[in-house]
Amino acid sequence: MSAPFEAGRFGSGQAVQRIDDPGLVSGKGRYSDDVVPEGQSYLVFVRSPHAHARLGAIDTAAARAMPGVLGVFTGADLVQAGVKPIPVEGFKRPDGSPLATAPRRALAHELVRFVGEAVVAVVAQTREGARAAAEAVMVDYEELPSVTDPLEAMKPGAPALSAAPDNISAFMAHGNAAAAGQAFARAAHTVSLDIVNQRVAACPMEPRSTVAYIDTDGRLTMRLSSQMPTGVRTGLSTSLGIAPEQLRVLVGDVGGGFGMKTGIYPEDIAVGHAARALKRPVRWQAERSEEFLSTVHGRDVVSRAELALDAQGKVLALRVRSVANIGAYATGAGIAIQVMIGPWVSTSIYDIAAVDLQFTAVLTNRAPTGPYRGAGRPEAIYLIERLMDAAAREMKLDPAELRRRNMIAPSQMPYKNAVGQTYDSGHFEKILDQGLALADWNGFEKRRAESRKRGRLRGRGIATFLEWTSGNAFDERVVVDVTADGFIEIVSATQAMGQGIQTSYAQLAVDVFGVPIDRIRILQGDTDRANGFGSAGSRSLFTGGTAVHAASERTIDQAKALAAESLEAPARDIEYRAGRFVVAGTDLAVGLFELAAGQPEKRIRAEAKTTVSGPSWPNACHVCEVEVDPDTGEVEIAAYASVSDIGRIVSPTIVRGQVDGGAVQGIGQALLEQVIYDGDSGQLLTASFLDYALPHADGFRAFKTEFDTSIPCKTNPLGAKGVGELGTIGATPTVINAIVDAIASSGQGRAAEKIQMPATSERVWRALKGDFGRPVFG
Amino acid sequence: MTRMKLNVNGKSAEVEAGPQALLVDVLREALGLTGTHVGCDTSQCGACTVLVDGEAVKSCTMLAVQARGRAVTTVEGLAKDGRMHAVQQAFMDCHGLQCGFCTPGMIMSAVSLLGRNPRPSEAEIAAALEGNLCRCTGYVNIVAAVKRAAGLAGQR
Repeated sequence: MSAPFEAGRFGSGQAVQRIDDPGLVSGKGRYSDDVVPEGQSYLVFVRSPHAHARLGAIDTAAARAMPGVLGVFTGADLVQAGVKPIPVEGFKRPDGSPLATAPRRALAHELVRFVGEAVVAVVAQTREGARAAAEAVMVDYEELPSVTDPLEAMKPGAPALSAAPDNISAFMAHGNAAAAGQAFARAAHTVSLDIVNQRVAACPMEPRSTVAYIDTDGRLTMRLSSQMPTGVRTGLSTSLGIAPEQLRVLVGDVGGGFGMKTGIYPEDIAVGHAARALKRPVRWQAERSEEFLSTVHGRDVVSRAELALDAQGKVLALRVRSVANIGAYATGAGIAIQVMIGPWVSTSIYDIAAVDLQFTAVLTNRAPTGPYRGAGRPEAIYLIERLMDAAAREMKLDPAELRRRNMIAPSQMPYKNAVGQTYDSGHFEKILDQGLALADWNGFEKRRAESRKRGRLRGRGIATFLEWTSGNAFDERVVVDVTADGFIEIVSATQAMGQGIQTSYAQLAVDVFGVPIDRIRILQGDTDRANGFGSAGSRSLFTGGTAVHAASERTIDQAKALAAESLEAPARDIEYRAGRFVVAGTDLAVGLFELAAGQPEKRIRAEAKTTVSGPSWPNACHVCEVEVDPDTGEVEIAAYASVSDIGRIVSPTIVRGQVDGGAVQGIGQALLEQVIYDGDSGQLLTASFLDYALPHADGFRAFKTEFDTSIPCKTNPLGAKGVGELGTIGATPTVINAIVDAIASSGQGRAAEKIQMPATSERVWRALKGDFGRPVFG
Repeated sequence: MTRMKLNVNGKSAEVEAGPQALLVDVLREALGLTGTHVGCDTSQCGACTVLVDGEAVKSCTMLAVQARGRAVTTVEGLAKDGRMHAVQQAFMDCHGLQCGFCTPGMIMSAVSLLGRNPRPSEAEIAAALEGNLCRCTGYVNIVAAVKRAAGLAGQR
């Protein structure tokens, strides 16, 4: 038992097979909907068919009388029962008054404010029974005028979504308007772009699924698919008025999150309430159409963005006016992303002294917005990278050269940007140079000529950028148990959702323990075991991994003292290697697991709480070449290269998958994806995978993806920077810049900059004929 | 309710199901084979893909009664003698999965493809996976995994 382990091939930096893969490829995953409690009942929601309506009488008598129906709940029932809305606070309107929103309730009460809002919950013994009973619920709606366009919503006389007649929920200004104004006045060049960052849907392949039941200990227990189990517990506690310790939230395998599964949803509260009221397990399985209707959407912001430059191309100032359509109810994240987090990276990797940024979050009759991969940073980086290309075109400069002239130098680190954020590390020009080399930047004109011979318009785009990671949550706690049966169990409140964090944690543990990776178990998704922020904002590795490392080291330290006792030798003489404690210079030894078996609790437990000293600032250079078919407007990605600085790499295979998969999501937004509401009726027109276009396997695959690991992060001892959102953030502007270049080269010139996302073949075809659609700001 | 006999993963199974019961619901609920997933309600996502007589079928588009007398294979039935199928192994080797939710359907579509075309081109792989959506991987490593599995299958 105490022979040393061979663990070298599994530590950090090694390409290992993910520890959760064998189960997932065999159908042994345990997603939320795979676990069925005894005696379950089924909940189905009646959802609003109207974008805006006053709720009249709700007749549930026929539904209640149907066979197998156990309960029918309305918004009024929940208010009566004391169920509270989901709180949101912390932001202000332009006049300094608190943010405006109607209360976001588990079930609509008095008014419905978007198509698909949950109005009634029906619970029955069978799913078919619940569906039939939901059909039998009669709701009187008095239709009200609706508004889905944020610019229309701010006009006098627009339908009001809350007590604020202008529908402005929140507002934030950043920078120094006077200084920026002076810079624009003396600038040699200015460029201005009106830009739409369209509403998109996260679309993790696993729909939400929530089961609630009263456990044998009498506590309400909820099993669901979430990135933030503790946050869900807090939300349940607040809305249902139950102390957190009287609740338990369990999360199994999560079939994708992308930010969309971060907070509590109204539906979860309704399911929890129903389980308590009916005293039996209640299960709700969202259909895909419900996901399109009622999960938070991402992006949805229109901007006028302007850049002032001197004669040499040095950027003097950035000015942005953005209006974000946050939908029918303000969510904390939905506002923060648009008015605060995006602005933090608005100057990106460029040394820009003056900024004047104003962000307005507006309520409309659409579903609420929230986090979606990148969350604010894609919006900001899209603006600055589009502006950089516009400025290069204005000044007839190579777009890479213009960027180079404005990059923050390594000697300026740590660098405080114009909105007060401090970057710890970065060598942006070095990343640019590698990106240009990987993409064969200088060989482009030859490829363009070759494409032209085939009747294709070739365009090239570049984005050099950084992003902010952490979710502003820097603390993590990890508990380690060394068990008598030979495992090291690591408990964390972060959450696996496909990003592979369990494997990366296990590799970090192998570094310290020197045991094979199959001895490491990562336990997550149980609020009885661990509480914390969860996994969002590309934070898990550098915050949680730091705690895994510290807790692992502490475990060895504590065990060393126990080994000293067991071996009757002074602790200073004990050495640890590969699962064994040895008295130096002797053959006296005890195995780590053997030692655990000898303890009164049959285990060795240690824990560590760690705090990283700030966010991480991963950065990258993306270069894309597209070919456009002028007859159809179809865009083909002809080449794609990226070089990323994500600091130290723990799991090489995983980070490549994150960058490439993330890039395809960003390409999806650039080319295909758009949530569309009908302007007149407020109906959602894209409520299925038939109508909402996701990338398919016939898309693009030949990524050249490289990393520079020579610039470690200084805010955490691992040296790691977040990676989960980086590819998505970079891909969207890179692809659109390439398309603009292709259209500009067709004879459209600067007019090409008016194209908006998604650059569907129809839009591109029209743009090639000079038709760029309606102006953004009318 | 009808009592019907199905052949799933080489075993005969008797289930009670209504005439309108979808194959996917019978697999997941009556037989507890939860590796077959439901990701949409319009037959677009392909997470529920299984093999029926060796051919990839979206089990949300087929009634359970239609599967009578035919051999149904789910992802749980791919491994033989404790050894993973070449496609399963290739998905692990190539990091062809992230969240894993689309993976069983992807694997079944790939197995079906390799059954009729053991040496597919990249374009043929992409075409065969047209009915399977993945949101995590960008399909990069999925296509790589199918290519690798084609190679592996050849070696055996």
